[in-house]
Amino acid sequence: MNRGGWIVLAASLIVIACAVTLWPGGHRAPGGSARSPAPGAQASLAALPQPSKGFAIPRPRLLRDRAGVTRWAPVLEAAEARERPTRSSPGVVRVGTQTPEGTTNLVVVIGEAVRHGVTWVHARLAVLPDARTGWLPRSVLGGWQFVMTHLVINRARETLTLLRAGRVVFRTRVGVGKPSTPTPAGQFYIRDRLTRYASPEYGPLAFGTSARSPYETDWPAGGFIGIHGTDQPGLIPGQVSHGCIRLRNPAIRALGRLLPIGTPVTIT
Amino acid sequence: MSVNRPPTATATLGQSLFDVDGALSETAGRLPTRGQFIRRGGRRLAAGAVGGAGLALGIGFVPGSAHARSEREDLAILNFALALEYLQASFYTEAERVGALHGPLAQQARVVGSHERAHVAALRAVLGRQAIARPRFDFRGTTDDPKSFRATAVALEDLSVGAYKEQLPRINSDHYLAAAVAIQSVEGRHAAWIRRLAGIVPAVNAFDEPVSDRRTVQLVNATRFVTLKVPHTSSKRSPSFTG
Repeated sequence: MNRGGWIVLAASLIVIACAVTLWPGGHRAPGGSARSPAPGAQASLAALPQPSKGFAIPRPRLLRDRAGVTRWAPVLEAAEARERPTRSSPGVVRVGTQTPEGTTNLVVVIGEAVRHGVTWVHARLAVLPDARTGWLPRSVLGGWQFVMTHLVINRARETLTLLRAGRVVFRTRVGVGKPSTPTPAGQFYIRDRLTRYASPEYGPLAFGTSARSPYETDWPAGGFIGIHGTDQPGLIPGQVSHGCIRLRNPAIRALGRLLPIGTPVTIT
Repeated sequence: MSVNRPPTATATLGQSLFDVDGALSETAGRLPTRGQFIRRGGRRLAAGAVGGAGLALGIGFVPGSAHARSEREDLAILNFALALEYLQASFYTEAERVGALHGPLAQQARVVGSHERAHVAALRAVLGRQAIARPRFDFRGTTDDPKSFRATAVALEDLSVGAYKEQLPRINSDHYLAAAVAIQSVEGRHAAWIRRLAGIVPAVNAFDEPVSDRRTVQLVNATRFVTLKVPHTSSKRSPSFTG
């Protein structure tokens, strides 16, 4: 090897030695485990410019378990709910696009089925007798909406409990139906929210539910059960109403901040 | 499972419809045009020369109005990206919550959904109060069964890759560009993943074509996933409940 060749070889060895020294974990202890770079190498690495950062991209988060998630959809076209998922099945009730309060009607979904290429949705219905269900074509419903809340009303204990993802987030004492007009038991859902009306007997806020009183069928709009405030807070808790769930006004305001539309309601 | 609803997603891609919500076209309208982009390229070169001289003197010099304009343009691009990320995140989240997917497809939706939600969070964080609101979506049954989901996911991921590709060279800020490139490469992985699950060759060509703003808006509107039919669930009407 001539002189030039030796110089090139020597330079190459120096470069390789430097690279091995600077490379993180480049030194391997006997047995293969990595050890920290030498103090000099740390200082050299720290002197390197940091890569420029864009905005922070947060850590991806997986969704929680689907358990406890309720699906609902607005009714876009009026349609006959059927007993079974076929067009030839007897009708249960005609489901309209609006509630008696003028809000968009909606249904809570409890199942789906496909018959002859048509997707049907098994839905809870706001119809007497309470807790009836029916099948609607998927095509008459809008986009799915989801809630993770569940409202439980215990008539015997006169309590209302709101759960989110299975955890209690709100609880209060309530007024329920009188013995002559009891609050109906069953599985229902929240349909709408009314505010800024001029009816002090309902307090500052009222939620409409899919439940109907079988004892007040001649009531205007068909005797739907609401969850609302009151102008007689001294009667709560107790069996005082025509079937509605009454809360003291501070409690209904607090509930109003927590309760989304479409929340399932269990009345026991 | 099929749905007796109007044709959607892949079935209508290419069909030009009006923008039902305006979210995408609104953001697309604020994007720099190709002409502006080219002109700005010249300004950028000139600014680089001035900036180089300024740096040599220890002075950071950026013309105020040009800087503000380029920031506005960047934010418009980020909002456009946010609109696409809203669409994808909502699609995967809904698919997972409906629960009709199983096996590798469910795994893909679960993981990719978490990525898209992270993209939304990142873009919203940087845009702050200038971030567009999340539109309301109706995925029209495409999340209800594996076949429809798979076809729609392929279409959305391919579109996302192409749309990012169009916008990336227009971004002025190196910081925004670094983040957008980080997102775009992940979108490419998503596209490859769902294509493989759909039995489609993940990478057909050696070079990908970008998808223009106008074309992106057309394609998204063709799906009719963005809806104006927002449920009105509140009212000031006096209650008629039993009391």
